[in-house]
Amino acid sequence: MKKASRIFVLALAVVLVATACGGDDNLGGDTVTVAVENLYPPFNYSDETTGEGAGFDYDIWREICTRLDCNAEFVEAGWPAVIEETGQGAYDTAADGITITEDRKEVVAFSDPYMTTIIKIMVRIDETRYADADAFFASDGILGTQVGTTNYEVATTLTPESKIDAYESFPVAVLALLSGDVDAVIIDDVAGQGYQGEGSEGVKLLDGDLSSDSLGFIYAHDSDLIDPVNNVIADLKDDGTMDALIKKWFIDFEA
Amino acid sequence: MTTIDTIHATDPTPTGTKLSFNWSEFPWWFIGILATIAFPAFKILTDEEWNEGFLFIKDGLTLTFAVTIGGFVIAMVVGLGVALARMSKRLIPRNLAIYYIELIRGIPVLVTIIMFGLVIVPWFFNLVGISLQSTIGSKAIRASVAIGLIYAAFIAEVLRAGIESIGSGQREAGMSVGLNNRQVFRFIVWPQAIKNIMPALGNDLIALLKDSSLVSILAVREITQMSRLWTGRSFQFFAGFMILAAMYLALTVSLSMVLQWYERRIATP
Repeated sequence: MKKASRIFVLALAVVLVATACGGDDNLGGDTVTVAVENLYPPFNYSDETTGEGAGFDYDIWREICTRLDCNAEFVEAGWPAVIEETGQGAYDTAADGITITEDRKEVVAFSDPYMTTIIKIMVRIDETRYADADAFFASDGILGTQVGTTNYEVATTLTPESKIDAYESFPVAVLALLSGDVDAVIIDDVAGQGYQGEGSEGVKLLDGDLSSDSLGFIYAHDSDLIDPVNNVIADLKDDGTMDALIKKWFIDFEA
Repeated sequence: MTTIDTIHATDPTPTGTKLSFNWSEFPWWFIGILATIAFPAFKILTDEEWNEGFLFIKDGLTLTFAVTIGGFVIAMVVGLGVALARMSKRLIPRNLAIYYIELIRGIPVLVTIIMFGLVIVPWFFNLVGISLQSTIGSKAIRASVAIGLIYAAFIAEVLRAGIESIGSGQREAGMSVGLNNRQVFRFIVWPQAIKNIMPALGNDLIALLKDSSLVSILAVREITQMSRLWTGRSFQFFAGFMILAAMYLALTVSLSMVLQWYERRIATP
């Protein structure tokens, strides 16, 4: 009897410890493929000197995998097809500053939001025609952005589609801005600040917030990662790691 | 033996079998092509999503046609100049022409379009003070000129082969009736050369139409860009790119049929 109760206590202890550790939240060293674009600084980009991928997405997924005991393997994917591909299970997840939208939820499952961004208007540094974002939309200026983004969708609500040029990636849209093909670029503030840090001294963000977006990671609908990663996101917010990462990449960042 | 007997003896199709269906010669591939186009066409007519996609993408046809036609006209005019320079006996024109042909052939079409459309022309126009948003500086014009200059190199080689295929006897005959160099080219060499090179020129026109999809990298609203915009918003990647592929296929197959008809029409019996 004594022996049986001892075994019971031991079993209870094991269960309690396991629960305290988050139970299922251990991926046992599994590899998690994380799709990134490497064209969206400071979320993800190729470092100029090392040629290696770097950015917020790399740091946060390495941290998530440290906590879940997995191995984050980063693979390059093209925007916006990465959403469809992830929905079909080509990657375990994708990180690219992806705005959580109802339309996209039909294709992929989203994590809980890990940060919010504000859509802004970026112009050349010497721009004097527009005092703020409203002044730009009152003009008939040409607006550049990336194809398949929420920025494009927001732009269509503010200006005729014929005045929006959707480029392959944001760096090309910024190139078109600097050379004068477009008068402004509609971009998330965090990414816009990234460009200002990335040596493109030729641009600035105008006053005026156009829309506020919540960003999430995406998975196939049947993914096992959703709950464990949501738990980690909550922990990262609670223990200050998220704030530190956001400060590192979106406030202090200068490549 | 009469002439009529000779004809009958060499006729491969006996009169009795003329009406029977020739299974092995029937163009089955064409039925396949039609079916490939018919599937998306059927979906466009019956499925709301596909219909919406088609209505959005088709607005890009204007620019696809403009880039194709504009590009081909530029390619023919520049290509003829390059071909004549290539055949010149003078050192500088000949070397410039070969340089141009090798330059274009050595760089991928997509890379040339990016270089020309996003880097070189913007830099040059900013240097001389032409606004990139003016008509002459617009990306639609840049796209047509880029495609035209690229195909000029390919077409130059086609034209040269065609012109060189006309024997020197023809030239000499022209000279002997008192035509000058220009007249010999215009009335003797060119009309014969163009017949010989029609199939090759037709191929280049079709290839140019397909390569016009590459100018979507400049964010101009031709059909490839339109389908990227639509799929980026609707996530209907299968529908969007099936519609796009069917549109290109319908265009290239029809163009090919028109060209074959035209080749037969101008062919010397």
